[in-house]
Formats: sequence, C-alpha cells, structure tokens
Amino acid sequence: MKKETIIAIIFGIGLGTILAFFVINRNNETKLTKNKVIAPSGIVNKTITTPVNTQIQAFEITSPQDGVIVDKASILIAGKAEKNSLIIIQSPIKDLSLKNTQTNFSTDFPLALGENTINISVYSSDKNTVPQEKTLKIYYLDSQL
Amino acid sequence: MKKKLILLILLLVILTSGKVYSQTKTASTTPEVNDQDIKIFKEKIANVVKKNNKAISGFVISNDNGIIEVKSSDDLTYEVKLDTDLTKYFQISGTQKKEIKSDNIEIDDFIIVTGVITDKSVAANAIFIDEKYIVSSGRITEVNKENYSIKLTTNAKETLTLDIETSTKQYLVNIKTNAVESTGFSKIKEGDIVHYVIKKTNTTKESSFSAQKILIIPQEYFLK
Repeated sequence: MKKETIIAIIFGIGLGTILAFFVINRNNETKLTKNKVIAPSGIVNKTITTPVNTQIQAFEITSPQDGVIVDKASILIAGKAEKNSLIIIQSPIKDLSLKNTQTNFSTDFPLALGENTINISVYSSDKNTVPQEKTLKIYYLDSQL
Repeated sequence: MKKKLILLILLLVILTSGKVYSQTKTASTTPEVNDQDIKIFKEKIANVVKKNNKAISGFVISNDNGIIEVKSSDDLTYEVKLDTDLTKYFQISGTQKKEIKSDNIEIDDFIIVTGVITDKSVAANAIFIDEKYIVSSGRITEVNKENYSIKLTTNAKETLTLDIETSTKQYLVNIKTNAVESTGFSKIKEGDIVHYVIKKTNTTKESSFSAQKILIIPQEYFLK
C-alpha cells in the first residue's frame, strides 16, 4: 500500500472520530433542552420557616440517683429544666415551688425516716407544652444498717 | 604433754573459728497487727458493704421459713432471705424507729429491705416496716362540694377520686409570687392542676383515695 493511502486512511479515521464526538455531544444538549423543567414565571415566594424555640431543654435530674440510701435528713436535688419554667417538688413532708431563672436548678430538700417518694414536675413557660415529671425514691435510713 | 596441749588448743581454735551455718530467720506467720490496721480494715469492709448495700421496697405477699416475698411498686417480686444472726427488724413511726422481731412482719405490710441484691433475691441486712405514699399530679375534672371530693385525670390518663378530709393539708401556688400558701376547699376549681399525696395500702381501692395533702396550681397561672 502506498504511503499516501495510509496517511489518507489515518486522516479519515481522525476526522470521522472528531465528527462523531461533535454529533453525540450536540444530540445530548438537545435532549437536555427538551427535558428541562421550566419554573413558573413570576416571583417565587420561598417560605422558609425558621423554627422558634425548638431547642427546649429536656428535663433531667442530675442528683440524687433514684433508689439511693442516705443517712442525712436532707438531700440536694439538682437538675436541668427549661429556663423560666415552674418547678414543683413534692413529697409527703414538703411542698416546694420554684421558678428557675436559669437552666440549672438545685435545692435542699428535707427527708423523712424511711422511704421518701419525691415527685418533681416542670411546667414550661410555653403554656401549651405538656408538663414533664419524674419521681424519685430516696431511702433515709441508719448508716449502720 | 606440752605438744598435745598445743595441738588441742589449735584444734579448738580451728573448730570454733569456722563459719556457723544456721537457718535464717523467716517471717513470722502471725504478723504484728496494731489497732490502727484493724480500724482501717474495718472501715474498708464497711465501705464495701455500704457500696453493695441497696434498698428495695414493697408489700409483703408471704413470710415463711426465713424467706419473705415482696411485691414492689413496679410489680416485681423479690425473695428476701433472712439471716437469724445478721438481719435486723425495725418499725418506723414518724421520726423514730423501734426494733422488732421477724414475727412482727405480716402479709400486706409495706417494708423496705436493705442488703445485697442479686437479680430478684435480697440477702437482707435490715428490714423496716414503713408506710407507702403515692405522690403524683393531674387535672381536676370535677369538684363535688357535697361530699368534699375531687375527680381528676392523671398524666397517665387515669381517673382518680380524692376525698378531701378535715385532716388533708391543702396548699395553693400563688400565681404572682410562686410561693406555696395554705388554702381551702372552696378555692378549688375544675381545670386546676392538683399535686397530691395519698397513703396506699395493699388493700386500697384503685380509684378512690383519701388525700393526705394537695397542692393546687390555679388554671389562671397558665393564662398569664
């Protein structure tokens, strides 16, 4: 085969490849244009709802542990509750109402000899929120036993 | 003779000047223990016992052959093993406790048991007869002014009737100061929140109780 023929074949294949690439690319662009979703004309009002006060502090008791045995006639009750909520602490011997100005609260609470069932309820400043409550059993018994 | 004497002296010198091998002193099997060590040891044992000492409570359902069966408020049944030498028994009344005998513990008594708990078995160190109280809250749905009772729905959606006796302590949260103040039955309204304390016995009816104490949060607090 002549040298000129080989060059002509290579040139032809190269040109054909470029042409094919160009045609395929163009075809894809046409398809995309046909399938494109057109947004409705006019001003689109985006309503972004920013949640207000969604981060409510979960009510938790950090001290004392439920079921603990103590040998003193009082105990420190501490925990976390939503700011400005009303906290009611009730036992058979004492009723306590306090408004926590901060997230953390703590108060000294008297104990009776034996089993002390202490109910702690939190009423959120958001009046539509369901109150949260926890009940502790604290045993005030002689340390020697 | 002189020669023999010299030889004898030399022999004695040689024999006595040699190393003496003997058994070395070993540690005595009974070490010296002073009072301080005993005190520390006792404290350590007391701490271990205290650490493992837990409490359970419930109503007695049986008391036979050195074993008491107790049903707790969460419906678990514990087997309490009594030790004739170790276990002590007390009756709590007010701020005092009085030592009693194991025979004084009867079925339906509410007891607190302290000791080492393994699964649902308790090796009892001490048993206290006490009183069971329920402390909870709910919203008042009905105020009966004829028989001095209130009907309420608890947070668990249960309906209860509380009888307000003359001995019932009645308190109210001041909505301005948040202070707890004494109040009367006439100030209780439907829609108020009530926190209550009731005494529970094993034979108490499930839906009607005599209130030991009530604390009212007026509905106006939630309208502020």
